[in-house]
Amino acid sequence: MAAATGAAGVSEPPAPRGSGVAKEATARRAVRPAQGGSFALGAKGRLLPASVPMRYFGAAAVFHALAWLALLGGAADWVQWRGGLGWPLAALHLVTLGTLLSSAIGASLQLLPVATRQPVRSQRLAGVLWWLYVPGVAALALGMGLAQPHLLGAGAAAVVAALAAWGVLLAFNLRGARGMPGVVLHGWGALAALMLLAASALALVALWLGRPLLDRDMARALHLVAGVFGTMGLLAFGLAYILLPMFALAGVPDERRQLASGGAALAAIVLAAAAAFGVAPVALRLAAVAAGALGLGLHLYLMHGVLKTGMRSDFGRALVLMRVGWAGLGVALALALALVLGAPEDPWARLFGVAAVAGWLLSFLFGVLQRILPFLASMHAAQGQKRPPTPSALTPERPLAVHFLSHLAALALLAVATAAQSTPLTQIAALVGSIGAVAWVVFFAGLMRRLRGAAVPEAAAR
Amino acid sequence: MSEGAARVWPEGDGTHIDVRGLPAPQPLVQILQLVRSAGAGAAVVVHHDRDPQLLYPELAQIGWGAERIAGEPGEWRLRLAPLA
Repeated sequence: MAAATGAAGVSEPPAPRGSGVAKEATARRAVRPAQGGSFALGAKGRLLPASVPMRYFGAAAVFHALAWLALLGGAADWVQWRGGLGWPLAALHLVTLGTLLSSAIGASLQLLPVATRQPVRSQRLAGVLWWLYVPGVAALALGMGLAQPHLLGAGAAAVVAALAAWGVLLAFNLRGARGMPGVVLHGWGALAALMLLAASALALVALWLGRPLLDRDMARALHLVAGVFGTMGLLAFGLAYILLPMFALAGVPDERRQLASGGAALAAIVLAAAAAFGVAPVALRLAAVAAGALGLGLHLYLMHGVLKTGMRSDFGRALVLMRVGWAGLGVALALALALVLGAPEDPWARLFGVAAVAGWLLSFLFGVLQRILPFLASMHAAQGQKRPPTPSALTPERPLAVHFLSHLAALALLAVATAAQSTPLTQIAALVGSIGAVAWVVFFAGLMRRLRGAAVPEAAAR
Repeated sequence: MSEGAARVWPEGDGTHIDVRGLPAPQPLVQILQLVRSAGAGAAVVVHHDRDPQLLYPELAQIGWGAERIAGEPGEWRLRLAPLA
């Protein structure tokens, strides 16, 4: 029945010479790239070449390892740290910008076009941005670690420029999205937060350069809310409404409830941001925590429904990490409440940071990535093959197991070290975290090696 | 759950499923739900409005393959069956 092997793991249909279908198939083969594929009927490709999203995931893996090493180097400073320049600040930004946001860029470039049925507006820009973003993050982190404000400023300028361009690509994609109002709401919320994140970042850099634009505490509070809960948090919530049904083979959660959860999360962010300006901060922060808890409760209710009704209710370590992530957000909100009610910043503010950034976002991210990366690799390897490699065949399992145990152990150790304000325990936590991060790098490198080995050369795919 | 349901009907060449117009990830989910409930030796014919790139790894994982067959204009039609 099949006549020729197509470019996406499917066989092309037989068609009489000169027929419309034959012309269409010929045209499709002629324009189809070997990697990434394209969509039916001459539509612009919605899947990027593998090298574009994977370079962001690769950078995220390396920055993750550097983050733990930066914490190892700055362990003595961490136990007293209050947000100033130094290696703890560098470690934090290697995680947030280097690992979390870099992965978010890769995932949004690869998955949102599929979900929204909108192609990435400029594939070249999506690839080129990496060359601005990654060196920018490296310079920024180095500037923070070495307490060199000018280096930090140069890195921040590159990062903000790259994020602005990514924001434009994301906005084009969301603007043309059909359906999925819940996901789209979270996407627009994340974009708005991204603007606030960039503005507050520039204000903080200006402070370090001796040209204050905003009060330091105000800028820091805005930066925290916009970065952790706004940009990353809303993306994590929104993408979960696409990814979890895919993982669990379940229906999409009720759109109205998605909107309700997203609305509560957005309200929490707006309230917390307003509190940063100093008007009734306690009342606004209490309201923000309440709205955040409502948003989380609704989100978890929807996720529970997905897992309960799906044909695949257990997806191993990935699901455990996602659940740890959700628990981390719950703990972060409880700690935020304690801080609003007067708990001392030492060590509660740092514990809040550990729960929100490492507990929630990092755990959730690694849960998603270890599920989606082999899947994406298999999809790209499928180009031109009738029998593509399975995701499990592309997955190096042992490094994933090492990463899983190390991540959880490092998380627990870091929480204890932070509460006890212990430098040796912080060093042990960072060492264990580094082992996990290296294991993740080994996993990612192995995946890429297997992808290259399985992929069909471009000429053969045509 | 808020998804629209795909149209499913039997024909001589297998069970057909029309997922055109459904929002992501519903086409993927509903096709895989049908495939997983199909018996041994069964075939599934998918009527889609685009090349379902994300479907192929999932099919490969459960030992199924896909071949494109001729369909209506504007349609991406696939025949799914267990790989020999």
